[in-house]
Amino acid sequence: MASNGAVPFWRAAGMTYISYSNICANLVRNCLKEPFKSEALNREKVHFSISKWADGKPQKPTIRSDTPDA
Amino acid sequence: MAMAALRREGRRFATHLLSPRPIAAIRSPSVSEEDVPLGVRNISTQVVRNRMKSVKNIQKITKAMKMVAASKLRAIQNKAENSRGLWQPFTALLGDSPSVVVKKNVVVTVSSDKGLCGGINSTSVKISKGLHKLNSGPDKESKYVILGEKAKAQLIRDSKKDIEIIITELQKNPLNYTQVSVLADDILKNVEFDALRIVFNKFHSVVSFLPTVSTVLSPEVVEREAESGGKLGDLDSYEIEGGETKGEILQNLAEFQFSCVMFNAVLENACSEQGARMSAMDSSSRNAGEMLDRLTLTYNRTRQASITTELTEIISGASALEG
Repeated sequence: MASNGAVPFWRAAGMTYISYSNICANLVRNCLKEPFKSEALNREKVHFSISKWADGKPQKPTIRSDTPDA
Repeated sequence: MAMAALRREGRRFATHLLSPRPIAAIRSPSVSEEDVPLGVRNISTQVVRNRMKSVKNIQKITKAMKMVAASKLRAIQNKAENSRGLWQPFTALLGDSPSVVVKKNVVVTVSSDKGLCGGINSTSVKISKGLHKLNSGPDKESKYVILGEKAKAQLIRDSKKDIEIIITELQKNPLNYTQVSVLADDILKNVEFDALRIVFNKFHSVVSFLPTVSTVLSPEVVEREAESGGKLGDLDSYEIEGGETKGEILQNLAEFQFSCVMFNAVLENACSEQGARMSAMDSSSRNAGEMLDRLTLTYNRTRQASITTELTEIISGASALEG
């Protein structure tokens, strides 16, 4: 298997299987031809705001977003 | 003069009897009856007219919201039903074990960001609270991860100390797998867990949503459960390709399972939200219609009463002159 040697590397880099598979998925999307390529890339937009709590108090929320202005 | 005042009082009394509810509802501090200037004979129907107008506008809004929810529902229902194929293989392979007892429990409550969608958020909060109570004790603890504004507002009140992460603004773009997987990744990295219990409303039909719990176990717990037998024991009968150990495979599987289950949960919940909003808006436009009918009846009756009185007065005046 091709990914045989690669498995420990992405895990060692602190990545989870999810981020690893996401990078792979993005790679596949980039292999598409236009117009399907931009369509597929536009479909997968990330936007949410996440805030961690410590000792019953919210910390500053961080916004994870693909669109820079938002 | 005294007679006129008496009659005015009497008529005012009569309107109260006729329409106990609408008048009580429209009586605001600014429109007290004592404001009626002396010598005014008819009760102004202006207030009722304004009320009717506002009810009509509310009805228009709720009708529009219903239409919007219906069209959104159709798109998202398709997605949600397709996404069910993502978690089903996992359940077939690993099974679903909601009753597993572990040390670190994390309850992931999925709710909506917007309101006006019936009781779906309250149900998922209620179930989450039950799970939380069930899974906290001297040798085990449970924490909350909250998705959506509405569950946040309800859980902040009494479970402040147990909240780990709050995630909002999920539905700004149409929901997609990349987004949910990034989110699941963030949860995995920031929360320590032995079992994740995801609470969401599973879409059944436009009027029925089943509050559902999906359990995702951490790889260590899966291994432990596999050794103790049961459904998870079948895992050994699978052939593993490549040089990965069983532990690695299980960790990858658990992570991927979590993101898939989350994806399905978020979609199902969004679908239920639209469905619930649709039926809520439907019943509220019906209620507005009923209210409008009642108000119209009151309005017409009052108008007719004043016309009749005036006619009687004219006729009796004329007959007094004749006689």
